[in-house]
Amino acid sequence: MKKSTKERLKQNAPAVPILVYLILLVGIPLLLVVLLSFFSRDSLGNIVFELSFDNYKKMLDPVYLRVFFNSFILAILTGLISLIIGYPVAYFTAGLNRKSRSFLILLIMLPFWISSLLRTYGWTILLGKDGLINNALIFLRIIDKPLNLMYNFGTVLTGTVYMLIPYMIISIYNSVDKLDRSLLEASYDLGGSKLKTFFKITLPLTMPGIARGYTLVFIPALGLYYISDLLGGGNTMFLGNLINNMATRGRNKPLASAFAIGMILLVLLVLFIYSKVSKNSKESLL
Amino acid sequence: MKEQLLSLKKVNKFYDEAHILKDISLDIKDGEFITLLGPSGCGKTTLLRCIAGLESIESGDILLNGESIKDLAPNKRNVNTVFQNYALFPHLTVFDNIAYGPRIKKVTKEDEIKVKVDEMLELVKMEGYGDRMPHQLSGGQRQRIAIARALINNPDILLLDEPLGALDLKLRKYMQTELALLQKQTKTTFIYVTHDQEEALNMSDRIVIMNEGRILQVGSPRDVYNNSNSLFVADFIGDRNIKEVEVVERKEDFCSVKLGKSIIDIRTDRSMVKPNECDGKVYLAIHMDKMKISYDKVDNSLYGEITFVHYAGSQIRTEVDVDGEKVTVIEYQNDYDNYRIGDKVYISWEENGAILLPKEDIEKRGN
Amino acid sequence: MNTKGSKFRTFYLSLFFVILYVPVLSVVLYSFNKSSSTAQWTGFTFDWYLQLFNDRVIFESFKISMVVAIITSTVSAIIGTASAVISSYVSKKVESAINGVMFLPLIIPEVALGLSLLIFFTELNLTFGVPTLVIGHSLFCVPYIYFMVQLRLQEIDSSIIEAAKDLGASSWQIVKTIILPLVIPSTLTGSLLAFAMSLDDVIISTYMAGPTGTTLPVHIFSMMRTGVTPKVNALSTLFLLGTFLLIGLNQTIGRKGEKFYEEN
Repeated sequence: MKKSTKERLKQNAPAVPILVYLILLVGIPLLLVVLLSFFSRDSLGNIVFELSFDNYKKMLDPVYLRVFFNSFILAILTGLISLIIGYPVAYFTAGLNRKSRSFLILLIMLPFWISSLLRTYGWTILLGKDGLINNALIFLRIIDKPLNLMYNFGTVLTGTVYMLIPYMIISIYNSVDKLDRSLLEASYDLGGSKLKTFFKITLPLTMPGIARGYTLVFIPALGLYYISDLLGGGNTMFLGNLINNMATRGRNKPLASAFAIGMILLVLLVLFIYSKVSKNSKESLL
Repeated sequence: MKEQLLSLKKVNKFYDEAHILKDISLDIKDGEFITLLGPSGCGKTTLLRCIAGLESIESGDILLNGESIKDLAPNKRNVNTVFQNYALFPHLTVFDNIAYGPRIKKVTKEDEIKVKVDEMLELVKMEGYGDRMPHQLSGGQRQRIAIARALINNPDILLLDEPLGALDLKLRKYMQTELALLQKQTKTTFIYVTHDQEEALNMSDRIVIMNEGRILQVGSPRDVYNNSNSLFVADFIGDRNIKEVEVVERKEDFCSVKLGKSIIDIRTDRSMVKPNECDGKVYLAIHMDKMKISYDKVDNSLYGEITFVHYAGSQIRTEVDVDGEKVTVIEYQNDYDNYRIGDKVYISWEENGAILLPKEDIEKRGN
Repeated sequence: MNTKGSKFRTFYLSLFFVILYVPVLSVVLYSFNKSSSTAQWTGFTFDWYLQLFNDRVIFESFKISMVVAIITSTVSAIIGTASAVISSYVSKKVESAINGVMFLPLIIPEVALGLSLLIFFTELNLTFGVPTLVIGHSLFCVPYIYFMVQLRLQEIDSSIIEAAKDLGASSWQIVKTIILPLVIPSTLTGSLLAFAMSLDDVIISTYMAGPTGTTLPVHIFSMMRTGVTPKVNALSTLFLLGTFLLIGLNQTIGRKGEKFYEEN
């Protein structure tokens, strides 16, 4: 059925307020970030409206490249460790009876609702110089001086994994749960061992969940600056901290914009890879 | 005669490139129980949806009480639909579901609505269920509520889209009787869509047989059952032996045809196919359950050897090889229920059980 | 199931959940410790809670957080639900355009998002405070509710809509009597989530707060960065209690909503 232009306009007219809302709050601000990334600022922090690629050239400075690299590695490792720790959790949970299953799912989802600052802060209590772990180790006479557990890359990684692992578990759980159990039985029936069945059937079939989980963990891991602030103590610089520092304290919004663009491009790259990987499955990221 | 309630005039419908309804013309009188019967994908549900206004048509016209309704939105047509999966509103009670139509139209007062809803609940034998939620009802009960919800609006026509499809066999048979009764009681015109010939034959005043977007035959259940007008209808309705035969001689009211080595006479006076249409090769279609096996020679019969006997409850299904042609006979258990494979037997049939069909028909069948 | 495997399963799951909750529980535990250091447990006390209630700054920031969260969740519920319903009526092309842009705030890291709004509002010369906080939080809350309601809309059997049409309902009547009642549970769950996210947000709040809009998380964050006293623990514990209340509420709504759909 062909629709006239008038009918189509009438049908789509209600979308106008939504589009205005989205253009105003998403479109224009992001466009400004793009624009600003080509400007610079004077010594007072005022923006100089002169087009240049200076900000992007600065990004290629080894000091800044290092920051990109740190963030990238942090995000990759966060995804990887979440996957390694989270997969068995999801897999085992899916194998339980209905009641325990829904209870454990509740336990996994609960942290989403708990203040993320509280959850981060909990680790400073555990890992601090006079924290619980050091106290316990000293008490047990395993060490006699407190270990330096805080303020390094590993601490930040622990914090991001802790913060984001529920996303990984839930999305893997959803795909394990959807798995046709009769396929596994068929494989056992055909003489496949448990391990073989896992690697030949379960793992490939839950790949969409893994890809989805990895994406959901990777993206926020790039930007959660309060974790690296509280647990990393500024010893390692990450993209989030850098942008935040430049935008607020450094008063260099143009450079912050350029880095934000770099960060968004990194996210889009990950999404692009995700869409390629999960082309066959209809899983949406949400 | 009274004017037609609903007239379809050369209705055509396309989905993109696919031609779903092809020149559908049909007249329906007030108070009729009409069934649209056909295999899935024949266009019967689409036709129903076009009448309801849920689909638009590309050409032709639909007249209700003599006025065109083809451009009216569904909410402006005085026809109501009972959907295949009932489509009860899950968040409303049974009462509110039934009251939905009158409340939306805002012409009836709430106390009158209450009276009407109670009447409807009584009509479908669901008194006292008003406060239930749809998910608390069984399939059959939901069905009744769906019917009540439609009937409360006093529609000119009630459209029913395979309403019994989701019920189990026993309940389905029971509901067939109920529906037929309800139709007589309310004197509402029913247009009923189904792919189940038994439903169609049991309930309808008239059956419309459709295939590939076309109407093939319109007639009473008896008519379409006995006097199928085409190979497709003959094949679709009832269980028939369908054989290609050669016309030997044409007479006023019968044809002599040759099947294997036997020459048999088939009456053509009652058939839709006139003798002058019988030429050269034609198709012979005989209802399996209107045939009879006997060991003694009978006039106008086929002769062959039993190759297979199957007892299925009250029926015996016997396959007989007639000069290389397999003929199946279905009989209710009788004295001769001791058929043995290899027995030589004669097969006769009731005269109205056999018809001849023109050959070119096979092209229309499409396979 | 072999017992060795199932023992390992129990062990692994237990270990995981202990580690998942130990950081949270230790925050709670030390809110009752007399000593302000975690070095040792010197006895049980409610002092930190008392100190908390006498802290005007915390009280002010708590008030701001609550106001922002309430307005944000309400506004987002309305915009998100309306957008989802409207997008189900417009053409496929327009719908996927809306979906695409709605998706952006969910995938772009908050730092970049916050920065973009900071730049925009600075250019507009807006005063930062509660209104900008609400707008900032709505930016990511609206899409959540939008997609949740959209998911629910897709689950609605199209024949239910057709039935309403068939019974004489106009488009607007269908929205009012069928669609909205069916999506409201999703809207409520979504706005509770929005409430929790707004209450918890640190990053966008930092950009949107200005001098008058310090929310509780922004304040806590600065407390954590400077000097930490168990007051922070006490505050976090209270927050946790509030969270559990919210979850309880969510579960009740969720259960009520599910009832209709069991058979759908």
